[in-house]
Amino acid sequence: MGLAFTSPALLLVGAFALFPLGFGVYISLTNWPLVGPYHFIGLSNYQSLIHNSEFLQSIVFTLKYTAIVTIPIFVVGYALAVFVRSNRRGTTVFRTLIFLPYIVGLVAESYMALVELQPSSGSVNFVLSKLGIASATTAWTVRTGLATTAICILVIWFASGLTMMLLMAGMQSIPTDLYESARVDGASWWSAERRITLPLLRRSIALSLIISVVGSFLAFNQFFIITDGGPGTSTVPVVMSIYQTAFADTDVGLASAMSVVLVIVVGLITFVQFHYLQGDDE
Amino acid sequence: MASVRSGQQPGAVSAPSLRRQAPGSRAGAAGQRRAGRQTSSGVAVYIVAGILISAVFVVPLLWEMFRSLQPESTVSNPPSGASFSHLTFANYRTLLSGQDDIIRNVTNSLIVAVLTAALTAVVSTMAGYGFGLFRFRGSGLVFGLVLLAFMIPFQAVLTPLFLELHFLHLLNSLIGLALFYTTFNLPVGVYVMRNSFLQVPGEIVDAARVDGASVTRTLLSVLRPLVLPGIATSALYAFLFSWTEFLGALSFMTNDSLFTLPVALSNVETGTYGAINYGLLLAGAVIAMIPCIVVYVALQRYYVRGLVSGALKG
Repeated sequence: MGLAFTSPALLLVGAFALFPLGFGVYISLTNWPLVGPYHFIGLSNYQSLIHNSEFLQSIVFTLKYTAIVTIPIFVVGYALAVFVRSNRRGTTVFRTLIFLPYIVGLVAESYMALVELQPSSGSVNFVLSKLGIASATTAWTVRTGLATTAICILVIWFASGLTMMLLMAGMQSIPTDLYESARVDGASWWSAERRITLPLLRRSIALSLIISVVGSFLAFNQFFIITDGGPGTSTVPVVMSIYQTAFADTDVGLASAMSVVLVIVVGLITFVQFHYLQGDDE
Repeated sequence: MASVRSGQQPGAVSAPSLRRQAPGSRAGAAGQRRAGRQTSSGVAVYIVAGILISAVFVVPLLWEMFRSLQPESTVSNPPSGASFSHLTFANYRTLLSGQDDIIRNVTNSLIVAVLTAALTAVVSTMAGYGFGLFRFRGSGLVFGLVLLAFMIPFQAVLTPLFLELHFLHLLNSLIGLALFYTTFNLPVGVYVMRNSFLQVPGEIVDAARVDGASVTRTLLSVLRPLVLPGIATSALYAFLFSWTEFLGALSFMTNDSLFTLPVALSNVETGTYGAINYGLLLAGAVIAMIPCIVVYVALQRYYVRGLVSGALKG
């Protein structure tokens, strides 16, 4: 009876998640074009990946991007969580407002950013040039460094709210009498934060870091919309590299090999972070 | 340390935090204690700081709504003092009546999002019922397999999934897209629903059985009201995921008339006639943003409930 109730879920997950995963491994061992006959070529796709400079470049770029955004998202998210974790007047409203960019989604916001980053007509240059920080004609989206900077700021703004919510949930689950007794013992705010909050928050910290690191590693939308990978291929993240290989170059075999590498890397990131932060007490 | 945490996690975490979310009852024990120490100037400083911080996150969104009401010529030209007058719905009118046929794309997005939310709710509720209240052989294994989908990034199975959907004639199909979205929302949904059913007191289930209610009847009439908040949580996550998803829709839809709104906007971005119309792009992005805000603000306690109860922990 229980199996009958759970079978629709199992069927869907089997058909559209587990099967494609196995099927992807199978395809990665062939020279499958999008249409037409194919045959087995063993590990050739994987061997050619080692020399595929575009794929390697996209991995390096994605790692850099992930390294740049992770710490700011965490620090900003943590500070916001401290700010909204208590139940003072206004907190509920502040939480909702700070979380809105995450709810709205990066796609709509990327389109908006694209409009506002235009050299002569966008609000970004208008404001920055009034402040004397940048020229009114700065071409944000066509220079690698500027485009990456803009996208990183956009993503930090977008994602900090989620980290805030996750850490706040963890903070609220810490029994308040721990803080009471720390206060009775004369502990300062900072030492209570360090000795009580941080250790008891490890699970939530691990979770928020995994979500943000994996999310950054799987980035696609903001780059596709704002830079389309350019200039050249300098801002192509891994997922876009796979997307282009599969649908523009129609080399499905190679794209699947890239995907297998991606699954392994994402799995490793998750495992390492979970293991490292959750550690011995689980 | 571990015992403090594990004793705290499942029940005790969600109960007090949820109570705090409820409007008008922010006076949890901890809240009172902390708030009690506040002086009135402290309260004022906190509120001013809160408004400033919130502004950083909300003002850009409000600014874009305002910008979308400017005429196209203002959006695409260097800003001037005139930028603040002449507000108009012209961008929306052009977008909704123009070549791009955005209404069809909005409809597609709505169909897929509602279908995804409904499917996720039904399938997750059934699975949660099965996992939560039945013992059966292999239940641990099946539960593990369903949660495994959480570990598989959908971005990484896109290519094989494309071929599979092609074979199944589910490419360029709103139903195919909804099935794909539902699958990747099931780990969260099933996790939330299993916890919902585990929290139902055993006596209620036993009483229904004694009264002779069938297993299905028990679910539909006795348990449904009790797990309704969980159903709302699963459906809400699925709706927002589907409404904002881009890569899958971009890959699995090749026919313009079946594009969802986010993908259709990339057509607007490219510009059908070469020149990009930024006014239209902004109007489209605002249309994409509004349902998220409305749905979230209306149902946010269910969303927060999901976060707090660890739905994302998988």
